[in-house]
Amino acid sequence: MSAAPRLLLGLLLGLLGCRGGKDPADSARWPDTAAGGHGPMAEGIFAPLGQPVPFATDAQRAIFDEGIALSGHRFTPAEGLGPAFNLVSCAGCHEKPAVGGSAGRYRNFFLTAEITEDGAYIPGESFGKAGGVMRLYTTGAGLPPRPPVPATTNLFAQRNPIPFFGVGLIAELDQGDILAGADPQDADGDGISGRPNYDRGFVGRFGRKAQTVSIEGFIRGPLNNHLGITSDPLTEDQRAALPVDSSGGAAPDADSLGARWAAPLQPWAQASAPDAPLADNDAVPDPELSGGDLFALVSFAMLTAPMAFAPESTELDDGRVIFDELGCGDCHRPRLMGPRGPLPVYSDLLLHDMGPALADGVRQGEADGAEFRTQPLWGVAAVGPYLHDGRAHSLDEAIRWHGGEGERSGRDYEALPADEQALLIGFLRSLGGAEHESLGLQAPGARLPGVGEAGGPTTALHGAELEDFAAGRLLFDREFGASEGLGAPRFNGDSCRACHFDPVPGGAGPLDVNVMRHGILSSDGRYIPPVVGSVLHRTTSLQGDGLRAQPEATLFEPRQTPTLLGLGLIDGIAEATIAAQADPHDADGDGISGEVSLVDGGRVGRFGWKAQVPSVAEFVRDALSVELGLTLEARAGLSFGQLEDNDGVADPELGPELELQLQRYLLRLGPPPRQRSDDPAAVSRGAATFEALGCAACHSPALEGASGPVPLYSDLLLHDILPEGTVGIEEGSAGGRELRTPPLWGLAHSAPYLHDGAAATLTAAIAGHHGEGAGARAAFDAATPATQADLLRFLETL
Amino acid sequence: MPHRPSATPATLLRLSARRMTYRTSSPSLVTLGLAALLGCTAGPDKPGDSGGAPNTAGDTSAPAGPPAWTPAFETSAAGSLSSVWGSGPDDIWIVGGTEEQAEIYHFDGAAWAPAQAPDLPILAWVTGWGPGAAFAVGRGGGAARFDGAAWTALDTGTTEDLWGCFGFAEDDVWIVGGDADVGEPLILHFDGAGFTEVPLDPAENNRGATTLFKVWGSGGALFAVGQSGLILRYDGAAWRGEAGGPLADQDLISLWGTGPDDITAVGGRSNARIAHFDGAAWTTTAPSALGGLNGISVQGEHEAVVVGVVGYAASLDPATGAREDHPPAATLDLHAVWGDGAGTYTAVGGTFAAPHRGVAIQWRDDR
Repeated sequence: MSAAPRLLLGLLLGLLGCRGGKDPADSARWPDTAAGGHGPMAEGIFAPLGQPVPFATDAQRAIFDEGIALSGHRFTPAEGLGPAFNLVSCAGCHEKPAVGGSAGRYRNFFLTAEITEDGAYIPGESFGKAGGVMRLYTTGAGLPPRPPVPATTNLFAQRNPIPFFGVGLIAELDQGDILAGADPQDADGDGISGRPNYDRGFVGRFGRKAQTVSIEGFIRGPLNNHLGITSDPLTEDQRAALPVDSSGGAAPDADSLGARWAAPLQPWAQASAPDAPLADNDAVPDPELSGGDLFALVSFAMLTAPMAFAPESTELDDGRVIFDELGCGDCHRPRLMGPRGPLPVYSDLLLHDMGPALADGVRQGEADGAEFRTQPLWGVAAVGPYLHDGRAHSLDEAIRWHGGEGERSGRDYEALPADEQALLIGFLRSLGGAEHESLGLQAPGARLPGVGEAGGPTTALHGAELEDFAAGRLLFDREFGASEGLGAPRFNGDSCRACHFDPVPGGAGPLDVNVMRHGILSSDGRYIPPVVGSVLHRTTSLQGDGLRAQPEATLFEPRQTPTLLGLGLIDGIAEATIAAQADPHDADGDGISGEVSLVDGGRVGRFGWKAQVPSVAEFVRDALSVELGLTLEARAGLSFGQLEDNDGVADPELGPELELQLQRYLLRLGPPPRQRSDDPAAVSRGAATFEALGCAACHSPALEGASGPVPLYSDLLLHDILPEGTVGIEEGSAGGRELRTPPLWGLAHSAPYLHDGAAATLTAAIAGHHGEGAGARAAFDAATPATQADLLRFLETL
Repeated sequence: MPHRPSATPATLLRLSARRMTYRTSSPSLVTLGLAALLGCTAGPDKPGDSGGAPNTAGDTSAPAGPPAWTPAFETSAAGSLSSVWGSGPDDIWIVGGTEEQAEIYHFDGAAWAPAQAPDLPILAWVTGWGPGAAFAVGRGGGAARFDGAAWTALDTGTTEDLWGCFGFAEDDVWIVGGDADVGEPLILHFDGAGFTEVPLDPAENNRGATTLFKVWGSGGALFAVGQSGLILRYDGAAWRGEAGGPLADQDLISLWGTGPDDITAVGGRSNARIAHFDGAAWTTTAPSALGGLNGISVQGEHEAVVVGVVGYAASLDPATGAREDHPPAATLDLHAVWGDGAGTYTAVGGTFAAPHRGVAIQWRDDR
């Protein structure tokens, strides 16, 4: 902190005795709202996490519930997902700490562009035009699994999902109050020169660069760009019925009647959306989202309430003083006057130059590459990570990394003693959400599942073991930050849970967390792994890195996230037990020729789609290094794990204590519980059919484990299972068409199926069996519908 | 840094002076004729009417007022209206329609009336050469020609959307289009008998555009504009990419000029772009706080009218960028504007999403 502000702060704290509270003298520290101070705020705007605003009508609460359910709906290709996509649901990106929030950095997405020779910013393409959004996956036959990045693309920037609690209240603001805070030429000489962005002539208020005014547009756009779900605009009647009236303010056909062609636009017209219907070229007719569903989603967003602020306290008063002294409120304006009273949004909703370190080069509306909208601070505690690309793992980092117009505040913060920094952080945490603050998705104090429950331990745990299991579960859920070594150079998840969360932490993952493997085919047909390895990651901690695939790479293969429940039991199966199942030359002539996956000098592999990992210990090391980009300490006898990287964070980035804690957690994590059926007889018949059709030839119902049979429904061997002519990724001793028999336990909660997640249903998964599985598939096809139904009922109980 | 209109003091003074001479608009003979024909009650009691008292064009004694647009005709049964062009004040065509059926309207100097449209989807643009010679193109590769008696569909040989057309003569017509998401921009030439696709070298497509929106020429110069700020010039043998500058980064929708050294293109979707060609190079500006522009009608070196999203209309000095915003002319997006050279501008617009709605308005500049 520079000397003058520091002195001022000291004087102020001394004068006021650092007490705050309700002392009338404190009013001097609470400037009026009109003067940009904190002051009173509108009543009745807050609600508990995930709830609608208190003033919502019964009808609005009903549509809110409908919208929040739709937010969590996972779209399938049959419903229009794709042809290119990043996500299968809205909630996938807006999940933290509840639907409507943010997400960890594993949900970061890329904005790309081409800066042309004459300097124009042209949003990059990604299997079509999607506003520069780079898509990671495709659906449908004949499409490359990973949309190629055009050679002309020369700008890459990242975005972390933005929370939208309270956006309906922001939509109600008169744009005049936003403009009142603008000082584009810094006429007052305070070094802060906020200016508005504009969207179709209206003051922008939503998005990292305030690039839009329309909540409808802010839902339709991402639905199209990230999910490939098309929609038509809402009708004027629907817009008029939204919680924030977004119509033009007159009857739907008024234009044609001349009734409103010359009428002034109503004040709420700023919330209206463009009229263009959206279309894509998949097989599902457009629009893929109905008007009613879009209405529910927009209504839900408008009704989602901000979280209540913490009660006043002396510490918060002191933190507030520091907030003011550091000039935070110059941009994070404590109040904007809305129709319901002062709105404690803690943002001026204006654009500010945030300096070269944060500049991402993205131009949106009138915002240039270094400008960002002041992010509202209400609820900030619960929606980390922070800054536009989530690079800040904590509020402390976010403040320190302010540059440009925020440079002075950031430096002054750094100069504060630690206790005063903590006071400021405490004040920020008081602005809602602190009770939901978590480094992951697991709510503070969440109940630990018991034995027999999904996510619970295999056996009853007590005392230190139970505490260790609970700590391991938290660690599994914990998101890591770049400053802790995450993702250098690249990563897929910022936590273990980022991919394994269906239906509980440790479970499987949906299509939108598929891992992408890739490779190079030599001219003579040999598989060559790219220099970065066979994993083509989702994202990176390196600024400006576009994750381009090596140009020679032509082979891409998605890998669905398998469940980890029961891993410890599989770990306990002896190598000899697995090897005993093998029949590599089909000596018994049954058409099944399972091979042992041999890795690392002859050890038996058992984990992964190619059985490329021999033990839970190494699975943990492999995942931490390859999926999270964390370096580890060398451990005798274990060959997986990266020991060092070049990200500037001291290696090992994760110490052996935490690594072992994760290992113990997975070893103890119980298998998926069997599902009950309301027709046990059918299940029993289905189990017999499973044997009779030949499924069990590879999906061995049980293998003997360390403490009894392990009902995993797999032989853990490699089988030639892909269609004739398929050229796939090779790994270890597994050929391009070979995959390990996936365990079937947990089937009820691990869709989609097959190694690439291409099968949305069990029936589709059976139809996807080729090679050694062709016989069983044919037998299923030939079975009566009743027999098929019995088999499916049986499978659903696994 | 913010982008400021590059208005010169002189221009502002001139516009200021022009503001003082605005006449209170009134239902013109056109409007009155339509009212008689269609039962339109355009008058001061109509909601949304400017309230200006009926007057007569050329009445310079009325007090000054802002530009006031009035309905051209009753459009409650119309689809989206996309384009307007005329050979003169007594011969104006408006085209539009829906996905299913094109619509054509004509003004003969006395009244507006629907014309028999060919069995085509919505028409996007209309141009022509005289009272008996007009030409229109539209969605799905649709094209039609007016021969003085009737509109007849033409076989373009494509199903691509066609967004713009311009012809130096009836046997020298250029048509542009393409898909908004995939493929390459489409350029066709019509020689009066048939259509020929004119290739575009991908290297000249310096914006990676998939579609062009409009084409216009004068004095031997011929330009086309399109997606992501693409500007092409035809050099007599091939189409060449032009440098539009850093701000030629949004769709350029329409263009018009007074000659080969004074051409203005407008565009932008959420944020306006105005690109001006001075005979040597293009300069693109981005007026602050202005939504996308869709249409422009140039009547002189310093005189144009532009229209855009959410019913926006303005007088524009293309040479300087100085702008005089009109009071909101509509709430629907306006897609095109045409001036008859005698002071009357006609603008059309609407929504491209079903249910389609259209708007057709007029303003007589009596300044």
